[in-house]
Amino acid sequence: MVDKINNLKFKTKNVSVFYGSKQAINKISLDIEEKQITALIGPSGCGKSTFLRCLNRMNDVISNCSVNGKILLDGNNIYSDEIDPVLLRAKVGMVFQKPNPFPKSIFENIAYGPRIHGIGNNRAELTDLVHHSLEQAGLIDEVKDRLDDIATGLSGGQQQRICIARAIAVNPDVILMDEPCSALDPIATAKIEELMSSLSKSYTIIIVTHSMQQAGRVSQKTAFFHMGDLIEYGETPKIFTQPDQQKTQDYITGRFG
Amino acid sequence: MSFSTLLLLIFAFSLCSFFFSSSSAFKKIKSATSRPSALPKHYGQYSLAWTLFPAFLLLIVFTIIGPIYVDNFFKQQIALTEASYDKAKIELVLAMIKNISNGSISSDEPKILKLAEEYSNYLSKIYLFRTLSVLLLSSILGIIISSNINILKNSRVKVETFYRILFFVSAVIAIFTTVGIIASLLYESLRFFALYPFFDFLFGLHWAPNIAIRSDQVAAQGSFGMLPVLIGTILVALIAMIVALPIGLFSAIYLAEFASKRVRDIIKPTLEVLAGIPTVVYGYFAALTAAPFIRKIGMTLGLDVSSESALAAGAVMGIMIIPFISSLSDDIINSVPQSLRDGSLGLGATKAETTIKVVLPAAFPGLVGAFLLAVSRAIGETMIVVMAAGLSANLTINPLETVTTVTVQIVSLLTGDTEFDDIKTLSAFGLGLALFAFTLILNVIALVVSRRLSEQYD
Repeated sequence: MVDKINNLKFKTKNVSVFYGSKQAINKISLDIEEKQITALIGPSGCGKSTFLRCLNRMNDVISNCSVNGKILLDGNNIYSDEIDPVLLRAKVGMVFQKPNPFPKSIFENIAYGPRIHGIGNNRAELTDLVHHSLEQAGLIDEVKDRLDDIATGLSGGQQQRICIARAIAVNPDVILMDEPCSALDPIATAKIEELMSSLSKSYTIIIVTHSMQQAGRVSQKTAFFHMGDLIEYGETPKIFTQPDQQKTQDYITGRFG
Repeated sequence: MSFSTLLLLIFAFSLCSFFFSSSSAFKKIKSATSRPSALPKHYGQYSLAWTLFPAFLLLIVFTIIGPIYVDNFFKQQIALTEASYDKAKIELVLAMIKNISNGSISSDEPKILKLAEEYSNYLSKIYLFRTLSVLLLSSILGIIISSNINILKNSRVKVETFYRILFFVSAVIAIFTTVGIIASLLYESLRFFALYPFFDFLFGLHWAPNIAIRSDQVAAQGSFGMLPVLIGTILVALIAMIVALPIGLFSAIYLAEFASKRVRDIIKPTLEVLAGIPTVVYGYFAALTAAPFIRKIGMTLGLDVSSESALAAGAVMGIMIIPFISSLSDDIINSVPQSLRDGSLGLGATKAETTIKVVLPAAFPGLVGAFLLAVSRAIGETMIVVMAAGLSANLTINPLETVTTVTVQIVSLLTGDTEFDDIKTLSAFGLGLALFAFTLILNVIALVVSRRLSEQYD
């Protein structure tokens, strides 16, 4: 099998993160390809979520968190002083573990990001954008007649797709997903996975997941984290069938974790 | 035996029965073969409750009913011996008898002296009966229960019932007290409205309860239109809220959303110190510092500011309410889930955008409730306005003039030598009722608004 060569979106070099004096991840170097789905797997507390949150500087919100090393997005170091984390987050969107739509109408949820960034200058453009985002998130048929309803009244799976649509609406390059299906039932999960595959045609997606089956189903590349270290990174089929490392083998066969 | 001695005695009895029962239960449980249904202390508590509460209840009943019964009995006696006496005269004689029997006055009328002696004999008999019955009830119940400990019966469940009754009674006492206060307020107000027309009071534009020195003076009959006083109250409260709401809310936002932990640890206790200042001290501050200061500024601007202005009282009251609003709002803002903030920040919103567009709307129902509670407090506040707002009831909305408030008028009407069946004194109860109704309506609105809005956001 010949490796397909893709453009690199993220290039990280020796990234370490500390919460106070406690080290959460240790010198992670990882390259993430454009318009692919990259899965980060590993047992709880292995640092995969921490690493994900470095990629759009959401760790800045946590007061005692410090990040060392280099993270390049399209060749620019996102931790350099010239980078505004607010603009970075518009480019690198995020979907969280628990669906967290705002307690506003469905329309307002999707229009929130565009309004903040000045995308969609008039009502018609904004409406188009909202419809387009909902369409991309595969939700338009379910909600198009009740855009003025409160988003928190939807089902869990729908709420999570609202969150994805909300992220898409600001037209990001990358979407980070932190265990997006862990609070959902299998049917809603299947819908989100399907959605991820279709979105990966236009966006780079990085997903943290506890479910190895999910990683196997959706991702092209998989990184295995353990105790803050990156143990192994490679093509997903290879990681799941013939991993190089014993630890990876133990984890995917369910011997620990 | 006096009330407190009796109380101490039955307490001692119940403690004895507690220790006796629990140790007896302990022995029985130790020698039992099957697993007991409750612990020794439950048997102890069970017998303690039975020794204490029925006797305590009996004591209370005797203490309240006893004297009333004796009084009624003697009223009948007096009416029998002196058929010509009317009701008021009987009351008077009874009061005399009571005073003689407890030795505070003396009389040389043999008939009265005899009645007084009978009275004290009768009362001491009642008290002796009280002592005996209470002690008997307590000791009999204590002995019966603690000598019949049956570890097969689950006393844990029964003790639970006692606890439930205890908590229920406490709650009921609180409610009854409130009802009692409202009833007395209503009763006095009705007396006032019997003397003065209700609608003249409610919508009258002139408030002048001139205190007459002699009852035949021209100014004896005052005018009791409460609108100027109510408008004064609302004006002062409004100024207070204009000061307190933005400062309190914004400081809460700063503390909850922006301040680092270190800054928060300094500012929060400081604000709490502000909450701990007695209102009388705020009153000095308003009267001696704020009011002259505002007057001076007004004079340099060419404005006519009275030395006791609504602005001074309102502004200082606002400062007093800042910590109240700020700490309530801080709690409410903190209770907005972090996931909402993350969602907004993750979309590239700044902290301020997140706060204004996501956090505050989500916290809004709670904030409305807090705000209306603060308004109720401002309206009911007394000390600051007594010292800084003045007494003359001007019908004005000019904050630079002197106004008076409902609470100030109540204080001035009820302090000093006043007759309690006088219309001026009674008008204070009318004002009290109006104030109560006003704050009650505000609180109900606060409750309804925050409930309705939070339903929408759930």
